[in-house]
Amino acid sequence: MTAVAPRPPTALTRLRGRLARGVLPAWAAIVIVFLFTPIIFLVAMSFNDFKTIFNWTKFSTHWWGEMLDNTTMVDAVQTSIEVAIISTIIAVILGTLSGIALARKPGRWTVGFVAIVLLILVTPEIVDGAGQLSWFVKLGGVFREGITPIVLVHTVFSSAVVTLIVRARVSGIDARLEEAAADLFAPPTKAFFQITLPLVMPAVLSGAMLSFTLSLDNVVATSFVSPAGNTTFPNYVFGLSGGVIRPEVAAMSTVFIGITLASIAIVALVLRRQGQSGTEIATTFTGN
Amino acid sequence: MTAAIGLPTGPPPKKFKLRAPKFALAVPAIVWYIFLFVIPVGLVIVNSFGSKLQGTPGKVDLSAPSLDRYREVVDGDFSDVLVQTMKTSLLGTLLCLLISLPIAYYLAFKTSSRAKVVVLALLMVPFFTNYLLRTLSWQIVLQPKGFVSNFLQDTHWFTFGQALRDTPIKILKTRTAVQIAIVYNYLPLMIFPLWVALDRVELHLREASKDLGAGRVATFVRVTLPLAMPGIVAGLVLVFVPLSGDYVTAELLGGVKGNMVGRAVADQYFRSQDAASGSAIAVSLIISILVILGVLAAVFWCVRRILAVNRRVTVVSI
Repeated sequence: MTAVAPRPPTALTRLRGRLARGVLPAWAAIVIVFLFTPIIFLVAMSFNDFKTIFNWTKFSTHWWGEMLDNTTMVDAVQTSIEVAIISTIIAVILGTLSGIALARKPGRWTVGFVAIVLLILVTPEIVDGAGQLSWFVKLGGVFREGITPIVLVHTVFSSAVVTLIVRARVSGIDARLEEAAADLFAPPTKAFFQITLPLVMPAVLSGAMLSFTLSLDNVVATSFVSPAGNTTFPNYVFGLSGGVIRPEVAAMSTVFIGITLASIAIVALVLRRQGQSGTEIATTFTGN
Repeated sequence: MTAAIGLPTGPPPKKFKLRAPKFALAVPAIVWYIFLFVIPVGLVIVNSFGSKLQGTPGKVDLSAPSLDRYREVVDGDFSDVLVQTMKTSLLGTLLCLLISLPIAYYLAFKTSSRAKVVVLALLMVPFFTNYLLRTLSWQIVLQPKGFVSNFLQDTHWFTFGQALRDTPIKILKTRTAVQIAIVYNYLPLMIFPLWVALDRVELHLREASKDLGAGRVATFVRVTLPLAMPGIVAGLVLVFVPLSGDYVTAELLGGVKGNMVGRAVADQYFRSQDAASGSAIAVSLIISILVILGVLAAVFWCVRRILAVNRRVTVVSI
């Protein structure tokens, strides 16, 4: 970056500059430590010998071995992953199509549609969850069984996120590329799959990663609509709260956090390969 | 367009144009949102005018719509919880803003690009770590016999042989615990939008400001901040709103003292099986959020007007 024309340095400005250079990174370091502290404690407690994560006695790895014997917990993790995969597929399809429509076919409908998308993003989850529960109870049947209701509620927020990411990306692509395809007699479906889709792929990929992690993260709406006997891992842990939580839960949590971080790392690497800068990736990943 | 002139014969492109409405591609999403968002939220509003159908699990009697549930919210303990929640949320949002602003500023203007990527990657770990697990972790940290408490009791070397406290510290199951964890939980959600907002302020405008004699602080207050304002406001709203509806943090850390509205809603649904009261509390929550956002917007607008009066240079962003 080009520097601002330097003023003659005085003792005071030098001191101020040193403060600015020292204080801001120090503050960043403090905040990062603050953000990591609880996570590190949780991970550390998976190596606790005692039967709860709340009192440290001595180091042991035996809970890591016993983790897989807790079938309820393993089932919950499995449910989490199934729900995350299915809801991601749905959210990506819905969000990509509507994102393209928003960018390429603007009209009076866009106002209403964008309003709904923004409302979805700002409505407190507790309101969604409560309403979805009442609605699913009314509908009954498949809406109260298995993983269907969980998958459905997870798609709502994430498809809204995908919509916005894809719309931003498509707006940045020259529309003439698609027109050229049509001029060269490509049928719309072929133009879509050969021109539009490859160009929006980075956005779709980021959107998919966000949907996946949002689904793994969800607790509130899930706690409302989960049918008896079907729950995700976070909600399994939520159900344990208030009682004894054994270190095997901390061990599984560590695995769970690892899965989430691995999925973002993979997508970040793929985007990096496609030539995006680290800053661009961070901007997209955090939904900006 | 009519037939092509002298071009190789082939089907004209028009043939492939679908006669579909403009929003055809968005139809699946529209149906989806109506089914899974508009109707459910509508149901919450409708149910709030009903009453609990006695003897059923959570069914609502809508035969005699009334405002009774709202009256109960206003008269009962819920109004205290509502006020408390709004205090916690406003303070939480403010703390998030104050903690995030220096970091966002640092990331946007004061880092080398390599350091920036490292810091962003580090910040992304808590951002993507499961929110329930992070909150649960605070239970470990804040235990009466836990780390913070022991540290304050044991640090003799730190305070000249005196322990800071003799007794275990009681943070868990208080409002303080909820406040700490809420700031913690929503901090990453604030840092990223702020950083993006500041990052988009163009360097040459800041340079121009400095060339015209403004110092660091003046440049920040009069050029950078106003230009970044839309992004900052978006960040504030996106933290304040979900924070006000939070129920997990209060459930895990709040105990009886640290109750929040979100938890009251959940209690009505799960413990009392009373969807009508739960809905009324949920709607009251939304109304409170809207009122607060409205008041803040008005204050913000007034401040801007007052500041605009004695601003000699206006920055026009293109």
